[in-house]
Amino acid sequence: MTQLILFNITNGLITGAFYVLMALGLSLILNLSGVINFAHGGFLAIGGYLAYSLNPYLGFWGALLVSPLLTALLGLAIERGLIRRLYGRDPLYSLLLTFGLAFIFEDGTRFLWGAQGLPVSIPAFMAQPLSLDLFFITGYRLFMVGTVAVAVAGLFAFLRYTRIGVRIRAGTLDLETVSSLGVNIRALRSFNFAVGIFLAGLAGVLAGGQLGLEPTMGTGLLMPSFIAIIVGGVGSLPGTLLGGLLIGVAAGVTTVFFPSASEAVIYIMMAVVLLIRPRGLLGEEGLLT
Amino acid sequence: MSLLDIRRVSKNFGSLVAVRDVSMTVESGELRAVIGPNGAGKTTFFNLISGLFRPSAGSIAFDGEDVTGVPAHRRVARGMARTFQITEIFPEISVLENVRISAEVAAGYRLRPWLGRRAAAEIRQRVEKILGLTGLVAKADRLVGELSHGDQRAAEIAMALALRPRLLLLDEPTAGMGDQETYEIAALIRRLHRDNKYTIVLIEHDMRVVFNLADRITVLDQGRLLAEGPPAAIAQNPAVQAAYLGEAA
Amino acid sequence: MRRSEILRGRLILLAIWAVLIGAPYWMPAIGGYTALGTRVLVLGLAAMSLNFLLGFTGVLSFGHAAYFGLGAYGAGLTLKLLAASTPLALLLGTLLGGIAGALLGALIVRRRGVYFAMVTIAFGQVFYFIAFRWNALTGGDDGLRGFARQPLHLGPVTIDILNNAEAFYYFVLACFAVVTAVMAFLLRSPFGHTLLAIRENERRARFLGIPVERHIWLAFTLSCFFISLAGALYAMLNNFADPRGLHYALSGDLVIMAVMGGMRSFWGPLLGAVVFVVLQDYLSSITTNWQSFIGLLFVLVVMFFPRGLLGFLQRRKAAA
Repeated sequence: MTQLILFNITNGLITGAFYVLMALGLSLILNLSGVINFAHGGFLAIGGYLAYSLNPYLGFWGALLVSPLLTALLGLAIERGLIRRLYGRDPLYSLLLTFGLAFIFEDGTRFLWGAQGLPVSIPAFMAQPLSLDLFFITGYRLFMVGTVAVAVAGLFAFLRYTRIGVRIRAGTLDLETVSSLGVNIRALRSFNFAVGIFLAGLAGVLAGGQLGLEPTMGTGLLMPSFIAIIVGGVGSLPGTLLGGLLIGVAAGVTTVFFPSASEAVIYIMMAVVLLIRPRGLLGEEGLLT
Repeated sequence: MSLLDIRRVSKNFGSLVAVRDVSMTVESGELRAVIGPNGAGKTTFFNLISGLFRPSAGSIAFDGEDVTGVPAHRRVARGMARTFQITEIFPEISVLENVRISAEVAAGYRLRPWLGRRAAAEIRQRVEKILGLTGLVAKADRLVGELSHGDQRAAEIAMALALRPRLLLLDEPTAGMGDQETYEIAALIRRLHRDNKYTIVLIEHDMRVVFNLADRITVLDQGRLLAEGPPAAIAQNPAVQAAYLGEAA
Repeated sequence: MRRSEILRGRLILLAIWAVLIGAPYWMPAIGGYTALGTRVLVLGLAAMSLNFLLGFTGVLSFGHAAYFGLGAYGAGLTLKLLAASTPLALLLGTLLGGIAGALLGALIVRRRGVYFAMVTIAFGQVFYFIAFRWNALTGGDDGLRGFARQPLHLGPVTIDILNNAEAFYYFVLACFAVVTAVMAFLLRSPFGHTLLAIRENERRARFLGIPVERHIWLAFTLSCFFISLAGALYAMLNNFADPRGLHYALSGDLVIMAVMGGMRSFWGPLLGAVVFVVLQDYLSSITTNWQSFIGLLFVLVVMFFPRGLLGFLQRRKAAA
């Protein structure tokens, strides 16, 4: 029993780690640009598939680094070409746009790489379980969690200690003031968008190594990521981090006792949070509400 | 009894005191202007009257009832209607519809899924009367957002009138307007006051407007009451001159 | 409004109804079939219901498919488990979706803009998962089968809407007429005017003394009732209900119908539904990659026709 619970908590943490990567990217974009990026799951899948295609040339490690960068570049191009034109208009339009992009990405990956699942090969030494008792903890799973932790720490350090990071945070709170201080808001938003997409691409590569690749792999992560943001509090990145881990673990633990309710539990958490603390766990009152 | 009785109100934002110990009474049928140089606390004072802010100290009575803690949208129901410095209208619907919404809400019909013939006719009459009063009959079917700045302000005043106010509060009604538009709005305010006996409190930066319009003028400076009296007396008042000259210098 | 404009409005209305009433007769001539016409009508009604909120109250719900789907499951389950009665199925389906909307609406009505959209999507998915997971009741991923709409008994007359596709079309058209009439009626009422006020300028509306949250909740609830009636009709059209009818992807489709047709006009969403449904029907018959084309349609509408077809035409007229 203990082993089963541990197994599912571990699973929950790993799922939570994906939610966190996905949700942090979404949150960054939502906070600074007011755009709900429906295509985020599509970017995640593209990140995974690019890693698959790059693997023969660059190996796993090269693909792990280059693929998210390429995905971010694609994101940058799309922000510059399309999304940027919609800033300042009703949020309805950016929603519909990214919604359409999500269709195109999903269909496009299916067209380019096929509808069947594809494996991403990972270095052999990471595929082994650490011990027989803890069969579910493979080196790769530890590596994933570790990578997510490093990426998240890197993101928070970036936002805290670099000039651009500080501007992004300030822009989230009060865009007009930041703009009046002479900061180039357009460039800032583009860069910020690319950072968000980089995280999605990274999540895609990591997920591919664990679960294999499918065109719809990102779409399934989209809803839990929304909920992570809502539970954590819109506007708060630490909130998003907390929300992602919480719902991941909650879903994992629920699997032990009520397997069929593992998805329902995250929605229940959201409802409870909205009832008791509408702004979310770490959200600020009034921000983006 | 005065219609509006403001007793020793103050308002601080943290350590900043925006309004300090100001009293003012307005009689029914009066046109009162509140003026003062930039930063005198006019806007804060105005927001205290309309209920957007709650005073830190002091009390406000309207028609004999204490309204100090009554929020702005409830004061509307008691008979206070206001306009805003930056025009607040419903831009993408017609002038007539803007005024009609006000009239329907004021008549207590906001939840009605239908109106009887009588009620509908009453609303129509009321809207037509107000459009006539504000000179907007010819523009009734135009979208408000497409009108000139002056006409938009007139439409906003029309919306306020449709609420059947006993006190009309105008926040810098001629702000940002050219001479012609300023003249037209001033003429409208005078008509409402003289011919239709509305009680009006307006704040204004432009002194030329108020000296020709107001029965009495209240002057604020640095959050305090500097002077009060009829326009002629205010124009002669050395303290007022100093305050405005100080700004000009 | 000038007399000529009133006359013009009446003529357009007359034309719309003439086209709708005549559809079973003229559609085959251009390669359509009656069931496609019924589908357009049902989805058009759904898009118009959504637009009651989106276009006339200015509130962005991106989770309306949930209430559409609840209407569908409500109707299907009624027919399957309770009684073989079309009117009862319609009633219970509408009630299920409408009441769910009323309850959730109360929870989210203080949220605004993108945040409102996000919460509506997330809550909408709750019902998707219930339908997906509760195999015993809903048939899970395979959908709810084993029910069929029933012939209508009106006193001595029986109308066989089950086997006669035209008869069912006219039954749907009658429901469509009733719901759109109620919507039009509400939008012309003082209550409808307050919704316009909220859409136009929420702060100003509040200053008129309109309790904005309560009115938004009412509009949300009404819109959910309308759309779940459309959903109930949809289940009876297909004699089938499936979880995709609750999924947010359908919400997106409904929003794009409203936007593409013109969300500031009453009939715009119906036009959008015509274009969308026919295009989807056509694309899916010629290519397996039809999803990309639908996605492209979203992008094109947003970038080039943000005011929709009717908005675009009105602009042209105003400019001329």
